[in-house]
Amino acid sequence: MNTNNSRCIAAVVKARSLREHRPANGSAGMQGGGRVRSRSLSVTMRRSAMTLQNNMAKNQRGEAAPSSRMTGRERQMGGFSLLLESSDDEGPEEVTFEDSKADARRSMKRALDTARREKELLKEKRRKRQELFQEQKKRKLLSAEVLEEIDSTKQEQSHVKAAEEEAEPEEVEGRKRNWKQNAARNLKGNYTVTTVKQSTLASSQLKAAEDFLHSRMYGPGSRRTTSNEMLSLENKMGKNKSAAVQFVKKNWACQKKAKAEKLKKTWIHMQQIPSS
Amino acid sequence: MGEFKVHRIRFFDYMPSAIRAMAFSTRTERLALARADGALEIFNFSDNYFQEKVLPGHDGRAVEALCWVGPRLFSAGLNGEITEYDLENLRPRYTVDAYGGPIWTIGVNSQGTLLAVGCEDGTVKMFEVLKERIQFQRNLDRQRGRIISLSWHPSGTLIAAGMMDMIRIFDAETGRATHRLVVDRGAGASKSKEVVVWSIAFLSDYTIISSDSAGKVQIWDGLNGTLIRTHLITKWDVLALSVSQDESSLVAGTSEGTVVQFQFLSSTVDRLDKDWVRTRTFKNHSHDVRALAHTETAVVSGGMDTQLVVRPLLDKVEKNTRESAIRKVSFPHRSLVCCAKKAGVLLFQFPDHLELWRLGESDGYGKPGGSLPVKRGPEKLIQLKRKGEDHICCSALSPCGGWLAYSTVTSFRLYRLLNGSISICKVSKLPKDLRPAHQLCFSTDSSKLFASSSNSSVVVVALNEPECKYLGTLKAKYGCRQPVHLLSASENGKWLATANTDCEVHVYNLDKLKLHCTVPVYGSCPTAMAIHPTTSNLVVVHADQQIFEYSLVKKEYTEWSRRLQKQGLHSLWLERDTPITHVTFNPKNPAHIIVQDLFMFCIIDKSLPLPEAKNVLYNQMTLRSLPEPDRVLHSHGFKICKDFQHLLCVSLLEDHSLVVVERPLLDIVSQLPAPVRQKKFAT
Repeated sequence: MNTNNSRCIAAVVKARSLREHRPANGSAGMQGGGRVRSRSLSVTMRRSAMTLQNNMAKNQRGEAAPSSRMTGRERQMGGFSLLLESSDDEGPEEVTFEDSKADARRSMKRALDTARREKELLKEKRRKRQELFQEQKKRKLLSAEVLEEIDSTKQEQSHVKAAEEEAEPEEVEGRKRNWKQNAARNLKGNYTVTTVKQSTLASSQLKAAEDFLHSRMYGPGSRRTTSNEMLSLENKMGKNKSAAVQFVKKNWACQKKAKAEKLKKTWIHMQQIPSS
Repeated sequence: MGEFKVHRIRFFDYMPSAIRAMAFSTRTERLALARADGALEIFNFSDNYFQEKVLPGHDGRAVEALCWVGPRLFSAGLNGEITEYDLENLRPRYTVDAYGGPIWTIGVNSQGTLLAVGCEDGTVKMFEVLKERIQFQRNLDRQRGRIISLSWHPSGTLIAAGMMDMIRIFDAETGRATHRLVVDRGAGASKSKEVVVWSIAFLSDYTIISSDSAGKVQIWDGLNGTLIRTHLITKWDVLALSVSQDESSLVAGTSEGTVVQFQFLSSTVDRLDKDWVRTRTFKNHSHDVRALAHTETAVVSGGMDTQLVVRPLLDKVEKNTRESAIRKVSFPHRSLVCCAKKAGVLLFQFPDHLELWRLGESDGYGKPGGSLPVKRGPEKLIQLKRKGEDHICCSALSPCGGWLAYSTVTSFRLYRLLNGSISICKVSKLPKDLRPAHQLCFSTDSSKLFASSSNSSVVVVALNEPECKYLGTLKAKYGCRQPVHLLSASENGKWLATANTDCEVHVYNLDKLKLHCTVPVYGSCPTAMAIHPTTSNLVVVHADQQIFEYSLVKKEYTEWSRRLQKQGLHSLWLERDTPITHVTFNPKNPAHIIVQDLFMFCIIDKSLPLPEAKNVLYNQMTLRSLPEPDRVLHSHGFKICKDFQHLLCVSLLEDHSLVVVERPLLDIVSQLPAPVRQKKFAT
């Protein structure tokens, strides 16, 4: 295999030197391009070397590479493998630059194609989902007749509410603008929804302050570890070395264990029934 | 001696809460400690660091700072309120809303007339300290950014306030911000985060010392507004600072758990060029140190690992004495477990709920030291959540297991337990005199409930269904204002002993509902007491580990007690640093007294000789190895067992089995929040 690799490398070097002798288009771009191309060249060379080795292995194993499944490149390689059959000492034939260039272009195109296809698929999915949501929203809104009925019943109430109802019937938000009752809303039916504990400004500020403190002490960049880790380190470094504090995670798969326990009980019960 | 079947209980999930702030009052030698759940604790440093008073917490009272103004205690919290506490009734006296958003810091001037608070909205608000209340005076110049810490200059003319990225110096009279000291941000990744000046101190020579979240302690010239010196002491935050009274020593607490001391010393012998020099480092905590106090002789620190550590400074105290030993307070100095002796049921008190457990049963016989097979495991019968936002102050369970009572600062509740303590129903009609109590106790025959209330008085209520009748109030003669923290009823139902934090012990006659006698006052606060069932002797144990036995019938100290006082207790006994929290007796042997503290329980046999100074105190192991006849020669009356550690309660049931409630410290430490990650070699 070493001889193969050296020949591949030799081919790469040759190819690179070929590029450098071409007329310069712009030195920086040229170098960059040349470098890229030589890299792709070396990649394809390596790849072709790999397929060559595979084919050689296949031939050694006695498998005949079915010609119908071969791609263009492999067909070329196939030709080479036949040659190899005859003479094992010689290294693989050099692949021409144009071939590998076409190869690389084809694979890039394939990749771009798949990416484009995936994007389109996602777009489709998104569009469908959006449509579904629109439909659901429309369904959720009550029909115009029901809204008119609500309108009529609410006209006896205060001016503020009447003003709100004058908005278009599809406007659901009108009903939500009911500040008078602390977060109470009247839905279709005879019940109200309120919060159990009214959150005041003070409690939200308290929460914000506590969050600030927590983020400064335990937030990102605070370089903390767990108490378990600290105690385990103490056990490891201490005078009497012992195992980590939570060596076995006892609370894993709780549900599975409960299920197994139940199964065991039923099995024992079943066993006892025929005997009794 | 005795062989006991021991119920070893470790299912009490007691979890202390982190220490958030502390303040030391040099005048009264008291330390006030605020915990994360809003609870406040007062420690008496002159009485063996005994936890005298505990004020229960409150949901939403997130205390951030504490301040003593003479004998009065003020706290400020993130709920935007300043609270003054009534230390005689163990409740908040009143709260004043500062209207500045969450309050981060509070400070009083040296004259004790003005209170300054630093708020979230960037204002420093000044309050006048009046006799019965505080009154808003004015705001200082409003700043952009929250005020995290502040410190008064001893003259009362300047205030230094630590904010985000800078320190502002205010003129207290005009309210103008005079100087702006810019604090450097940390290096590397922390350059993008604002640096928080967590703590600040203003010294009398106009030096400002600040500690920030970049791990630096910086020394500034307050007059010119310039930086003198920077000390980088840690990679994490430096959360707390405390300066000693004489301003020669300063301690800084870090997130790593270390406390670094700086001293104002000169490098040469002559006193000319003094400078703040870093001297000692103490590593007594595993988690962040959030509160510090520098007393004259010691450094007191507390933080997220919930332990209070008092570290005496060896240049101020005698070496190798009891005074120079480090003290760690990890558990409360009062009992949170109540054992119903007749029913075999335990009551666990948590800040927000109560748990009732039935003990397990075991049949077998075994050797001493071995474990017996459990026939029926312990089961949790009831979990009772409290109503309202105040935390539970005290609770009690009647010995028959039929009545349960608990009290918060605002309410009192009594429940009846039926069907073997399985079903529970609230007793709704309670007498009006039964107000929230500091301590509760049931009589042994479960017919009466004693609740301590204000002015050291005790309310007696007869337990009946459906309505409880008020029987009377027991009042002491003199004007005692301090709260009663210990209540003990005798088994025959005749006597009730009460002890308050003023070291007064009163004994009442329950038949006549009058004061029977007052035990002579001893200088140290009583920590546990009990009345003997047959001899009616009152055994009182004090915070300095002294034991007294007082005969209630004869109204004098017993002969054994006098003998003990004459000989004196063994030195190892007196050197113990945790107080005795429970005293009980052995029904089978009237000469036994069983006492328990955090690390041991001891059976004191009054019929055996007292240990002399030259005897070994902890001699149980050695006695076991001696042959039978020799044992009598070497044994003494104090039989100490240290097999069970971190004891919360030791009690003797009616069937002569011992109940031992343990809370291993490891269980608590493993549930603490995250410590900092220290990278050590080879790990």
